Amino acid sequence: MFQKTSRPAMPQEEYPTPGVSPDEVETVVGPSVRVEGDFASEGNIIVKGIVSGSVKTSKLLTVEKGASIFANVRAGNAAISGSIRGNVKVSDRLDLAETAQVAGDIDCRVLSVAPGALIQGRVTMKGIDIIGDKRDDKKVGGFMSKIKSRSEDEIEDSVGSAL
Amino acid sequence: MYVYLYDNFLKQKKYASILKTIETRLTDFGIAGKIIRLQSLSDAKELAEDEIKKSVSGIVIVGNDKTFGQVLSRAATCETLFGFLPIGPDNKIAEILGIPIGEDACATLSRRRKLRLDLGWFNGRYFVSQLHVFPGEIAVEYDERFKVTAKGKMELVVCNLQPFEWEGNGKKYVVRPQDGKLEAFLRPVVGHSWFKEVYEDPSIFPFQEMTVSAKKPFAVEADGRQSKETKIKIKLSKKRVEMIVGKERRF
Repeated sequence: MFQKTSRPAMPQEEYPTPGVSPDEVETVVGPSVRVEGDFASEGNIIVKGIVSGSVKTSKLLTVEKGASIFANVRAGNAAISGSIRGNVKVSDRLDLAETAQVAGDIDCRVLSVAPGALIQGRVTMKGIDIIGDKRDDKKVGGFMSKIKSRSEDEIEDSVGSAL
Repeated sequence: MYVYLYDNFLKQKKYASILKTIETRLTDFGIAGKIIRLQSLSDAKELAEDEIKKSVSGIVIVGNDKTFGQVLSRAATCETLFGFLPIGPDNKIAEILGIPIGEDACATLSRRRKLRLDLGWFNGRYFVSQLHVFPGEIAVEYDERFKVTAKGKMELVVCNLQPFEWEGNGKKYVVRPQDGKLEAFLRPVVGHSWFKEVYEDPSIFPFQEMTVSAKKPFAVEADGRQSKETKIKIKLSKKRVEMIVGKERRF
């Protein structure tokens, strides 16, 4: 009657992300925690709370929905669902989710913006070769002038034939 | 010759047979030595220093995580080789060091695979497994670079060797600390249930130096020893002790 019933064992999980090696501890800023100062980490950073000052990591920065960063950000890769007031410099890929808000300049190599994400600032991406190249301008200019001269000739011809 | 420091709890009758088996195995391996039984008032540092003077080749701690912490927090300054024979429950550090529990640990000890281990240090004391600051209105400054605060009370756990475990959303989570750094787990108190405080999921910060301060004194527990402080500086003491470890170690 009073036999001891064994409780089922609670499932055990590695924290914080299942994809990350259990021995690789990340830096996690919890929802009701506030960080002030030069916040830097050698590993991945997950921000769920508020950070002000500056943020720097060579790996992945994740800013979750509801989190806020009032700082310039530098990261290897970044996935933003919260808000950032400051410049964002990402050396590789920047993902902005539909809830993301960035008020500042963005500098990255690959940018993915979900519908609904808000950006207020200048976006600079490496690898673009159609702006600021004089030879390209000349080529474009020459091509355009050819088109123009040809069309003018054609107009003149058509006018002459009509007369 | 090794010196074996036996914890007081091993006096219990249920450990008699395992101790006998272990002592036989140690004799077989040719590493049996002097046995000292630790009492509640024994000073591990004094004992270790006395034995080092007698030119012992190493000090072996026999017991559980608490014994390990209790001995090394005092004896870490002694320049000698340490070994560990884990017996009974509460042996999580042994798993990290790759030392099997019970008689199989004798084989690991005989192989003498040596490694220098990092220890935590705070206010003049070493800690091996964990340091626990009980919930209070504390402010934490990391590596003199950034400061972490919360609206109300916060609990802080600093892990060196022992993993940090907690329960939430019906699951049990575990974070295994990495070598070369200390990990700080900060949990703000977000509410109260019937008999206990409700914590938020922890914030995690790996660090090398940290200062914890508060206006009122707060309780600190390191390796099972409690004290009250108003300001503590926690540091990583790299490669502080030389230890015999197993092949299956986690670092």
